[in-house]
Amino acid sequence: MSVAALARETGRRLQEAERLNATLHWSQALLDAEAARLDGLADGPLSGMTVALKDNIVTTDQPTTCASRILDGYLSPFEATAVTRLRAAGALIAAKTNLDEFAMGSSTEHSAFGRVLHPLDPDLVPGGSSGGSAALVAAGVTPAALGSETGGSVRQPAAFCGIVGVKPGYGRVSRFGLVAFGSSLDCISVFGATVRDAERVLETISGHDPLDATTHPGGSLVAAPARQDLRGVVIGLPREYFPADLHPGVRAACERTIAILRQLGAEVRDVSLPSTSHAVPAYYIVNPAEAAANLARYDGVRFGNRRVGPEADLRALYRSTRGDGFGAEVKRRILVGTFVLSAGYAERYYARAQAARRLIVDDFARVFDAGIDFLFTPTTPTPAFRAGEKLSDPVAMYLADIFVCPASLAGLPALSLPIGRDGGLPLGGQVMAPDGGDADMLAVAAVIEGAVDATGEVR
Amino acid sequence: MTIGPDTVRHVARLAELAVADGDVDLLAAQLESIVDFVEQLATIDALPGTAVVNIGPPTLTLREDVVAPIPMTRLAADLAPEFAQGFFVVPRLGGMVDE
Repeated sequence: MSVAALARETGRRLQEAERLNATLHWSQALLDAEAARLDGLADGPLSGMTVALKDNIVTTDQPTTCASRILDGYLSPFEATAVTRLRAAGALIAAKTNLDEFAMGSSTEHSAFGRVLHPLDPDLVPGGSSGGSAALVAAGVTPAALGSETGGSVRQPAAFCGIVGVKPGYGRVSRFGLVAFGSSLDCISVFGATVRDAERVLETISGHDPLDATTHPGGSLVAAPARQDLRGVVIGLPREYFPADLHPGVRAACERTIAILRQLGAEVRDVSLPSTSHAVPAYYIVNPAEAAANLARYDGVRFGNRRVGPEADLRALYRSTRGDGFGAEVKRRILVGTFVLSAGYAERYYARAQAARRLIVDDFARVFDAGIDFLFTPTTPTPAFRAGEKLSDPVAMYLADIFVCPASLAGLPALSLPIGRDGGLPLGGQVMAPDGGDADMLAVAAVIEGAVDATGEVR
Repeated sequence: MTIGPDTVRHVARLAELAVADGDVDLLAAQLESIVDFVEQLATIDALPGTAVVNIGPPTLTLREDVVAPIPMTRLAADLAPEFAQGFFVVPRLGGMVDE
């Protein structure tokens, strides 16, 4: 297919997927401009691939809104390094996708521009916060999309939508041009229709960037040689991720997959990560604290659509700009973050969260040092839930991330891949790897992908 | 831990965030449930001065400290709501009676 035809076909698919509300910006004119740009370019590693971008990753040719009214219409003066690398590798940028406002959420219901529908059932959520990117890949519009993870925002929607979601290790992909949310946690991450699709994108966008000092020198991901089986691989099953009240469909899918791991030659061992229960509470201290600091810039002066209050005073301008521009979940996080850092409370909350994070990091180090190569767990405690189900209870929403946020707190590579369906709904299995184990983790996931009936009912 | 409307208003002022009067009670209840939830970490001994966990590369690779043109496709004047004579224009500070 010529790039011009690819651009037209992508436009047709995006039009067809409009019912999902998965995109915030795209146009046939921009797709045609992308095709014209690629026409003059030599073939690259991603030639012929279309990629959608979560709308918290900046581009100069389209607005970047973070699904917030405060940034409605914002045009960045520069482009994210990951996008520059995608374009140079021959990828066709398809669309900017919907998300929870500023990536705060687990259902993509917290978008100022309306919720994203699950591609298989409009009454369900696609997960979040990268729900638009996940829905587009699941609906077959693009084979890959960029999302971002702060605490599981790619793996969780990947599990809900039945696709692959990969969070690389912290520092593997440049965050230059990713709108900052929780700086000690944020990672640009990748959705793929298959493990190989996600891997190709990661090969392109990973590696040191002089514009992001937290990237690893020489951090480019080089795909590991393809494996035929899992002989010689030791896989740990942390018991804290298989609680008694785990959804029976999720449990059945995991048990079926574990049997396959054994058939493929892996040695499977029970392990313990005793600090797992600290992860969500620690995350919901560290994350709002960092968010409150990062979002201080949206004040109507440096960034953000200005609202001038009746007093026409600078602080009134800040307050009305932020009060009008931010949605409910963003306000909650800013308030919680400000509270846990305020005088008298920083020791009680923030210091404890740091201590909890240390315990979680040490847990992972202990099992990986004891000869475990990878960990296998469910990605989520349940399949996709109904829209509105958790909206009035923030803590219930936060607990949807219980199995994904530990790897985020520890900065480890982790991915979700589809491992079966229950009542027609996709279920995800998570593979976590030690620091630097991104490429081997992808090779192992590709073997599992080849052996598991990802769309078959598990019970 | 009890979080009342006064705490919400105080924290909102610290965060430079206008909160509608009608939202204060709901926010107080939600903040209280979130803070009660994270309170379970009270079982952890947080030693004073617990080191911040550093995730990522052990050393940061910094750029050379030289002034170079910033590759921006749009100028600051095009981004700012108000810009005059090289400055961002904002309302005066101090007109509002603050607590």
